[in-house]
Amino acid sequence: MKNNITILGGGQAGIYAAREIRKNDTESNIKILGEENLLPYERPPLSKDFLLDKKKEEDLYFHSSDVLKNENIEFENISINKVDFENKKLFAKNDNVYSYDSLLISTGSENKKLTLDNNLKNDIYYLRNLEEAKKIKEIVSNKNKITIIGGGFIGLEIASSLSQLQKKVIVIEIGSQLMGRIIPKQIADLVQNTHIEHGNEIILNKQIEKITKKNGDYEILLNDNTLIETDFIIAGIGSTPTVKLFENTNLKLDNGIVTNQFCETSIKDVFAAGDVSNFYHPFYERNMRLESYQHAQNHGICAGKNIAGVKTEYTSIPWMWSDQFNLNLQLTGICDEYDEIIERGNDINNGVIYFFLKNNKIRGACGVGIIGKVGRDIRITSKLTEKDTIVDKQILSDQNLKLNKLIQK
Amino acid sequence: MSEENWIEVGSTDSIEEEDLIRFDHQDKTFCVYKLTDGFYATDGICTHEAVHLEDGLVMDDEIECPMHQGIFNIKSGEALSPPACEDLKTYPVKVDNDKIFIKID
Ligand SMILES: Cc1cc2nc3c(=O)[nH]c(=O)nc-3n(C[C@H](O)[C@H](O)[C@H](O)COP(=O)(O)OP(=O)(O)OC[C@H]3O[C@@H](n4cnc5c(N)ncnc54)[C@H](O)[C@@H]3O)c2cc1C
Ligand code: FES
Repeated sequence: MKNNITILGGGQAGIYAAREIRKNDTESNIKILGEENLLPYERPPLSKDFLLDKKKEEDLYFHSSDVLKNENIEFENISINKVDFENKKLFAKNDNVYSYDSLLISTGSENKKLTLDNNLKNDIYYLRNLEEAKKIKEIVSNKNKITIIGGGFIGLEIASSLSQLQKKVIVIEIGSQLMGRIIPKQIADLVQNTHIEHGNEIILNKQIEKITKKNGDYEILLNDNTLIETDFIIAGIGSTPTVKLFENTNLKLDNGIVTNQFCETSIKDVFAAGDVSNFYHPFYERNMRLESYQHAQNHGICAGKNIAGVKTEYTSIPWMWSDQFNLNLQLTGICDEYDEIIERGNDINNGVIYFFLKNNKIRGACGVGIIGKVGRDIRITSKLTEKDTIVDKQILSDQNLKLNKLIQK
Repeated sequence: MSEENWIEVGSTDSIEEEDLIRFDHQDKTFCVYKLTDGFYATDGICTHEAVHLEDGLVMDDEIECPMHQGIFNIKSGEALSPPACEDLKTYPVKVDNDKIFIKID
């Protein structure tokens, strides 16, 4: 049957869903509505290789317009500002109306903003999209002393890139360690040391009291009365799912759009995927919301299958990475439900991994090492987690023993 | 096919099954694999970013990059999973007297 399938949000989950729908349904109309005037592109390089000029805008696109044309997927640059689920309609700012039979919501997430005096609103920069990355890149070329507010993944990646561009970088973090409590303290400390070795200043446990503009530069007053002078400020203080559009509708929201394991929302024929969705994970038997590249891709694909009528459960084990300086950090599974922690390795040059176990089975792991050193073991860990097997802890803890041995075929 | 293009990599028992070794020749890096049905060779650096595949995971006929989990088919070099989208170059391999050779163009 020929349907009108609409995808609201032209990011990673949206494009993967669109192509997967087309694989399974050659007839229906597929339309992506995206407010960025760009074809879907990868965000991870924005804080890394794009700032470092190792990747250009054209390297970031998932697919060329030819691929979309060949697969008969329409992309329209439009911002939707009202939704009528009852009559299956979307309304755009320019009064365009779009009707759908099935809808995928993949509106992603947006950066939290600092609460500041109004006159400073345009002075603090955030990084979520290509336009912001371009602006930051252009402005920092004339700045030297840059302050990053927030020691999460994106803030630290920007700090790493700017340091490699020979900038003096200060990172201010409100918590007692970098990258939040989800990352083992030992790993956060290893990453912190690397930043310090490269000349970045890391300030923990401090809150911003006040920011004052002074002759084009800024003074940041911390709660211990330290005064930091800086010529540019970027904030990376976390993000929230982009759901404002749905707040006064029947769509069930709770830290994002609540979906089941089939990417279905509380409203019939409405699906959600990627950063915006708080989905049920059958393996962990709970809901979770993830902001990661691998998840946006796989969740988009899973939603695409379900929209095309191929009923498919989402069972992907979470995985994400962060690249800072010559380090690669990876996280798999969930690291907050455990009764035992096992450490593998203690030298960042060979990779250090912490495994989180419950009832002798791996639930998640977090590792960091010089580029290339933890990926294989983390990948094997994802497979072991998925298989839900009882693991030999001796092999996990001894870096001389290969983890491949634990995978039974 | 001229003989001198075949470069000796090492002995056949230097690689475990479903594993790989890195092989550097002049200024290039290669990966040489032992799969259940024989030996194969590809470029040693991921096509996504300049990362050595020697630390990657070999599973069935696939090599998975340790950095961002891009996956390539070892036999054809085909990029199978993003973020890798550019194929990996492959090279002919022969075994002679328990020694592995790869043909570099
Ligand atoms: C700087 C940065 C670095 C990152 N680095 C990593 C990394 O190293 N590793 C990793 O695993 N993950 C990383 N991520 C996370 C990863 O990129 C995201 O999880 C992924 O992009 C989410 O995909 P998505 O499709 O859910 O949302 P998005 O890709 O954000 O797409 C959502 C799209 O919907 C559009 N939209 C929203 N509302 C509307 C509307 N009303 N009308 C029309 N369009 C709308 C938005 O403009 C956007 O284009 C990074 C993210 C950022 C921002
Ligand atoms: S470097 Fe290999 S997938 Fe990114």
